[in-house]
Amino acid sequence: MIDPREIQSIVKAHILDRFLPQANADELTTETPLIAGGILDSLATVRLVTFLEERFGIEVKAHEANAENLGSLAQIADLVRRKVDRA
Amino acid sequence: MNFASTPEHDALRDQIRTFARDRLNHDVVGRDRERRFSPDLWRTCGTHGLPGLPAPVEHGGRGFDPLTCVVALDALGYGCTDHGLTFALCAHLAACVVPIWQFGTEAQQRRYLPGLCDGRLIGAHAMTEAEAGSDSFNMRTVAERTAGGWRLHGAKKFVSNALHADLIVAFALTESSTRFHGGVTAFVLERSTPGLTISAPIDTMGLRTASVADIRLEDVRVEDAHVLGGVGAGAGVFARAMDWERICLFAAHVGQMERLLDRAVTHARTRQVGGVAIGKHQAVSHRIADMKVRVDAARLLTYRAASRLGVTRAVALDAAIAKLFVSEALVQTAMDTVQILGGNGYATDHEVERALRDAVGARIYSGTSEIQRNIISGWLGL
Repeated sequence: MIDPREIQSIVKAHILDRFLPQANADELTTETPLIAGGILDSLATVRLVTFLEERFGIEVKAHEANAENLGSLAQIADLVRRKVDRA
Repeated sequence: MNFASTPEHDALRDQIRTFARDRLNHDVVGRDRERRFSPDLWRTCGTHGLPGLPAPVEHGGRGFDPLTCVVALDALGYGCTDHGLTFALCAHLAACVVPIWQFGTEAQQRRYLPGLCDGRLIGAHAMTEAEAGSDSFNMRTVAERTAGGWRLHGAKKFVSNALHADLIVAFALTESSTRFHGGVTAFVLERSTPGLTISAPIDTMGLRTASVADIRLEDVRVEDAHVLGGVGAGAGVFARAMDWERICLFAAHVGQMERLLDRAVTHARTRQVGGVAIGKHQAVSHRIADMKVRVDAARLLTYRAASRLGVTRAVALDAAIAKLFVSEALVQTAMDTVQILGGNGYATDHEVERALRDAVGARIYSGTSEIQRNIISGWLGL
């Protein structure tokens, strides 16, 4: 079983590197709104999903790439953990 | 990394080039003048399985992997001078067959795929709207929940195949606050659905043997069984269709470029001025050399993208690169061919001027060249 905090750490590092290169890492918390806050636009979402699938060996289905699953680091970690545990 | 084609691919290429040249090229100039799509030729393509290349065999398709599909469509583009027919087939395949095959329920696949694959049914894809051209997800078309189904209302523009379509994959907002992120849903609509109306054909510069029209959806009521890929899955369905379209349709354009190149080479070797073949002049031979470079580069980019379809979601980047390069290269190749053929290139009955008119749309449909550059730069983190 993968630790959700480890998932959050990996995803946070990716988002900071790819989508928020000038941001202060402390400002990106587990609850920061990624979609509602405009950090993940359509293309960034596709790139993030590509990263999640390749990094964690999961598949995010078309109906799952929504604000409920990708809206924050906590929600992303929960989605990844559920899929990894199911595998 | 292996750049050699297989004997199976070589045989398929030869078979489809011959089929297309012998069966699909009758009176293309006349049909272009009259802006006439040929249902008979569509059914002829159906007898050879072209409308269902990647669909599973059990549903009537040929079960080809993406690379084999691209080899087949490259060959079709080379052999078939009816570019409108090729365009219509590829739009049907990538934007209707692929979504139903990859996202459809078993019932949807059983109901629609056999007819879509054997040429009895024609598919279309309705996404573009008047107020949301390249900004696709800023759409106004909505689907509201009703008891046991949905009520759709809105209008779609520039729907390829619309005039003859039996089936339309249409996208609508089901949650306006989230749009791309789970707020858009794809629906499979049959042509006879009450409230669905199709406009008169839109007159176009090129691809006049295909049909383009607008669609209105007024109080269109469908059951849940018409949802494709799940409620809120529209962005994923659309993205997959675009990946396939930007690779498969543009593979056909690679074949068209090679045919134009061969035409230019033949003309340059046989047309003499002052007792010398014009191809002996560097002004002509260098232009043709550049055409050859473009064809080979276009093919490599397209085939690389095809080899990654279904392997990684990052194929969206490869598809954008291939689409951008091939579309720009196709227009330039057609321009060069007109120039090399001179008066014959400019005259309407030699087919080269039509190739140029037909090429221009490639920089616009499936996402403009500007949008492809946005995608590519976005993947680079810009």
